[in-house]
Amino acid sequence: MSELPAAHAAGAGAPAPENDAKARMRAALTAELPEEIVLHAEEDLRPFECDGLSAYRRLPMLAVLPSTIEQVQAVLRICHAHDTPVVARGAGTGLSGGALPLESGVLLSLAKFNRILDIDTANRRATVQPGVRNLAISQAVDHLGLYYAPDPSSQIACSIGGNVAENSGGVHCLKYGLTTNNIVQIEIVTIEGERLTIGSPALDSPGYDLLALMTGSEGLLGVIVEVVVKLLPKPELAQCALIAFDDVRKAGNAVAEIIKAGIVPAGLEMLDHPAILATEEFVHAGYPTDAAAILLCEIDGTEGEVADDMARVREVVEASGATDIRISRDDVERALFWAGRKAAFPAMGRISPDYYCMDGTIPRRALADVLIGIGELSEQYGQRVANVFHAGDGNLHPLILYDANQPGELENTEAFGGAICRLCLEYGGTITGEHGVGVEKIDQMCVQFPSAELTQFHAVKAAFDAKTLLNPDKAVPTLHRCAEFGAMHVHHGQLPHPELERL
Amino acid sequence: MTETTDSTLAGLAAQVADACEAGRALTIAGGGSKPFLGEAPPDTNAEKLDITAYRGVVSYDPGELVMTARAGTLLAEIEAALDTEGQRLAFEPPHYGETATLGGTIATGISGPGRPYTGAARDFVLGTKIINGRGEVLRFGGEVMKNVAGYDLSRLMAGAHGTLGVLAEISLKVLPAPRFSRTRVFEFDAATAIERFNAWGLRPWPITAAYWEDGRAYLRLSGAESSVSAAMETLGGETLADDALFWADVREHRRDFFTRGDAPLWRLSVAPATPTLDLHGETALDWGGAQRWLVSDESPESIRAAVAAHGGHASVYRDAAGEPIRPRQHPMPAALRQLSQRLKHSMDPAGILNPGRIDPEF
Amino acid sequence: MQTSIIDALRDTEDGREADRILRACTHCGFCTATCPTYQLLGDERDGPRGRIYLIKQVLEGETPTEKTQYHLDRCLTCRACETTCPSGVEYAKLADIGRDLVDRQVERPARERWLRWLLRHVVAYRRRFAVVHALGQIARPFLVGRLAPLRQKLPPRRPRVDWPQASERSRLMLVHDGCVQPVATPNTNAHAARILDQLGIRLVAASGAGCCGALSQHLSHRAEAHDFARANIDAWWPYIEQGAEAIVITASGCGASITEYGYMLRNDPAYAEKAARVSELARDLSDILADEDLSALADIGGGRRVAYHPPCTLQNAPGLHDKIGVILAGAGYKLTHVSNAHLCCGSAGSYSILQPEIANQLRADKLSSLGADNPEVIVTANVGCQLHLEAAAGVPVRHWIELLEPEALKPVRAAAA
Repeated sequence: MSELPAAHAAGAGAPAPENDAKARMRAALTAELPEEIVLHAEEDLRPFECDGLSAYRRLPMLAVLPSTIEQVQAVLRICHAHDTPVVARGAGTGLSGGALPLESGVLLSLAKFNRILDIDTANRRATVQPGVRNLAISQAVDHLGLYYAPDPSSQIACSIGGNVAENSGGVHCLKYGLTTNNIVQIEIVTIEGERLTIGSPALDSPGYDLLALMTGSEGLLGVIVEVVVKLLPKPELAQCALIAFDDVRKAGNAVAEIIKAGIVPAGLEMLDHPAILATEEFVHAGYPTDAAAILLCEIDGTEGEVADDMARVREVVEASGATDIRISRDDVERALFWAGRKAAFPAMGRISPDYYCMDGTIPRRALADVLIGIGELSEQYGQRVANVFHAGDGNLHPLILYDANQPGELENTEAFGGAICRLCLEYGGTITGEHGVGVEKIDQMCVQFPSAELTQFHAVKAAFDAKTLLNPDKAVPTLHRCAEFGAMHVHHGQLPHPELERL
Repeated sequence: MTETTDSTLAGLAAQVADACEAGRALTIAGGGSKPFLGEAPPDTNAEKLDITAYRGVVSYDPGELVMTARAGTLLAEIEAALDTEGQRLAFEPPHYGETATLGGTIATGISGPGRPYTGAARDFVLGTKIINGRGEVLRFGGEVMKNVAGYDLSRLMAGAHGTLGVLAEISLKVLPAPRFSRTRVFEFDAATAIERFNAWGLRPWPITAAYWEDGRAYLRLSGAESSVSAAMETLGGETLADDALFWADVREHRRDFFTRGDAPLWRLSVAPATPTLDLHGETALDWGGAQRWLVSDESPESIRAAVAAHGGHASVYRDAAGEPIRPRQHPMPAALRQLSQRLKHSMDPAGILNPGRIDPEF
Repeated sequence: MQTSIIDALRDTEDGREADRILRACTHCGFCTATCPTYQLLGDERDGPRGRIYLIKQVLEGETPTEKTQYHLDRCLTCRACETTCPSGVEYAKLADIGRDLVDRQVERPARERWLRWLLRHVVAYRRRFAVVHALGQIARPFLVGRLAPLRQKLPPRRPRVDWPQASERSRLMLVHDGCVQPVATPNTNAHAARILDQLGIRLVAASGAGCCGALSQHLSHRAEAHDFARANIDAWWPYIEQGAEAIVITASGCGASITEYGYMLRNDPAYAEKAARVSELARDLSDILADEDLSALADIGGGRRVAYHPPCTLQNAPGLHDKIGVILAGAGYKLTHVSNAHLCCGSAGSYSILQPEIANQLRADKLSSLGADNPEVIVTANVGCQLHLEAAAGVPVRHWIELLEPEALKPVRAAAA
């Protein structure tokens, strides 16, 4: 591990002798918890050193694997008493390093909380533990004709607790909203170890909408230990159109035209040429490998509605210059069309050893311009990029392909990513649509938010966690950090500078 | 126009900063259409922070499904602008008067009959520009559909009654207006209505509102004509003539139910399938059973206890003559209340923005 | 994923292979979703991604302890993870390399070593196993403690079904006999031979062929597994030269191993080509039958309800094709709905003996899924799954081929009644 850039492998190397703080915390934790759920040896901790963003790794001081809420409360209470930071982790599929551990902190795994506690058909809700997989909810209520709408691409594996912490989206957001629009209540444990119910079984609750604030707070305000999700009736029919274009700009414009036509597709996704190639090889979804871009446009509703809207979609995309339109004949074919999209990120592993996923969101009208801008940046930075994204929401997922074993490539990739973020902001967008800031986009937060806003965020954080122990140094940068980041920009012009330690 | 509005905002921010410095409470004044919402009524003796001059649509691109407008803009003006493009605010905000502003609508966080099916005010808030309690103008969220950069302080503003910050600008997601809409009427008692509303909710039908009053259930279906017609055929019932007016009356509390009698009007918020509650008085059911209106003389304690037993909460909408009921909102658990107070303090450290509107203490 | 394999390993065949596999992994975590042990235990170290990480540490020069070994041992090698991996990570190959590396550095307790030795040196040898099996029938009451799981591997004897009379048939196929099956469920291959005989195919079991090598392979004795592979290739080769069309697999666990012979022996100049040919010829019995005219069997099922448990080696490992559902439905059986069909039953070769706790939990879950839709009989396609499930099932558990021979139905019906 000695050849890893220091910035990305803090805590790696020869195992340090167990220091005082670690011994103290371990003793405090094992005094109240079973010994075998408190991991302390490097051998055991190493698998927890990163989440879905493996470019960032850090060995936690300790990892705890509780299976009851009381144990979670104990962990937080003890950490609070000992001023020890805590990072909560669900399925570890996050793409912004939100569950990256701290070398001086405790990693709190919620993976054992994987039971569905209650399905309330009449009220169309399910009460689930935070470690339940997103897809497992929909599978558990399928026989009732219901489903849970938000469906991030990692839905097979990602956990609902993580979804709430990140306010995850998915391909059906445009019509059905994000996580924040699809949950009614959560239970959290505060850093003091206190259990709180936020939200209610009703559609609103007295006082502030803390549910809105908690959703997407990236584990900085509390640890989620239970979630009540809304369930929706499955649409009578869903159809997906696979639409090919010979030009990215035409595809981008078609997206805007579909929305302008008054259609709200259940999903509207786009893949560019490199993304088509990579996914097609794995999934064999029948994507046209010669197309410059494809759109996947899903329409759902009643039979008449779907037929109506599909006809209009066809009209619009034909006018926008589509070269081929295929409409799914049945659910099997529809699932096949989607299979490629859903597996698109990790499928990059087939054409490149590593990939770096960006998450900017822009107004739809700027789609084509931003895509072309990304293409230009790709040439400038000399790295390949594949684009897979939620076109209907304007949520881009450029995947920068790189090889982590090549010295300097990750740093160049990060700089490229930063440039993409700035491009999104120039067009009136945001640096992250659904993956969260985590550690990955923390510097870009300095570009998106002036210091007054950041100061306000820190004040809100202090209302929940005065000692700044919950997932510190993620999501919201300190002003000091931004000053350094800004200075780096001013003095050196363009990143990267691999000689600089940035973490 | 830009210069004027900029200076208006700067003036408002300066006024807040001054008040913060002096520790002087401010009453945020919009159209004054909803003084009965919130904990205490607006303090008319306190200094007024008048936002009505900060008005106008900032941007609206129908192709983006986003509108940004200043808080002082009349709600009616916004709806008219959307209507010309065949779009609307899908949460159907009640106006409670012609002077209703966008700022007041979001600050109170109220939503109309479509709420359980299309979403609440907070669900459509994409971004806000606010003045915090220190007089700083801050921007959160944005004009895009998905945005998870930073805490979601924009949505938090919905329903905060201005106590966390003065809403200055709001970006909202808007949606195409339904192409076709029909309402069916059924003769049901309340228990049957609750049972049916929720059973129908399991079906993939285009239900967009469900209301019950005086032995009659009203179900609105909106969407493509073909799907509305197909659902109507299966459902049966009678078609209601002039249903747009009916739903507007429900939304604006213009129906006879809301004005009859002298007893207080309570709003009960519960899970939709909650059975009928054993409380004296007259009940109407909206939101498919999730929002219940109760005109009743029962004691606040017994009403709150009955609702709380089902995990819900009750608030007073209209007092009877005489002593007003306090508190008006359902009391929060102590720990949550302390957290809320700390949150309030983090955004308004001097406690000057609409004090008492969200909680008797802050 | 970034890797930095230590110099001592980097230039070895295993090191290169492991690095290649690791580099494909993007650490996305999709694999955890279909991993039976991760779903059961909720511990990163008991899921494929965590195990890959544990192996990666060893490859990068960290000295493993019994803890890494423990979590690698708890892997079923069911390969469900490979079916969900969008990056094409060949987990099972990496696991074999990793277990071998770890086992060379971490000595197991004496009792454990003894048990593993026994598995490799008795179970994998038909005659020795037959002796133990016979003794075991007598010794059943004495199989207690750590040996108790063995009792389940000793099903009560059933009446023997005869192979067809030797006759001239125009087509020839080999059948893989294996080690456990001829002793524990000898009727399986007899039924297969009788049905193929009716279709004009002569089935032969080559003398000299034995265990497929899977047991050794998964107990970190890959060289021993390779020897088994060579022995089988030598036994089969004359028949292949005579024109045997296929090597018929009636125990998918063995099939998964035989279809890997080409990979296993790719660096053995004397065997590489033959091994690749053998791997090509290995086909599941259902895959063979699906190509034949089975109209004569159309009504034998009579609508009886059957729950089918697809072995992991048939649904997850590449190389074999599962046509069992189609054949049984075609024969008039009603296949019941089974949820979570992708999850392992816990048998997993020697796993149920070495990890009885997890194996029994998985079996309980599996039997509840299999039983949910009221089947008369449970069928599967691997002797390991069959014996493991049978030991705790409330309904008979059979190899599916038995359902295609009317006389075989009698015990099924009798047992069901």
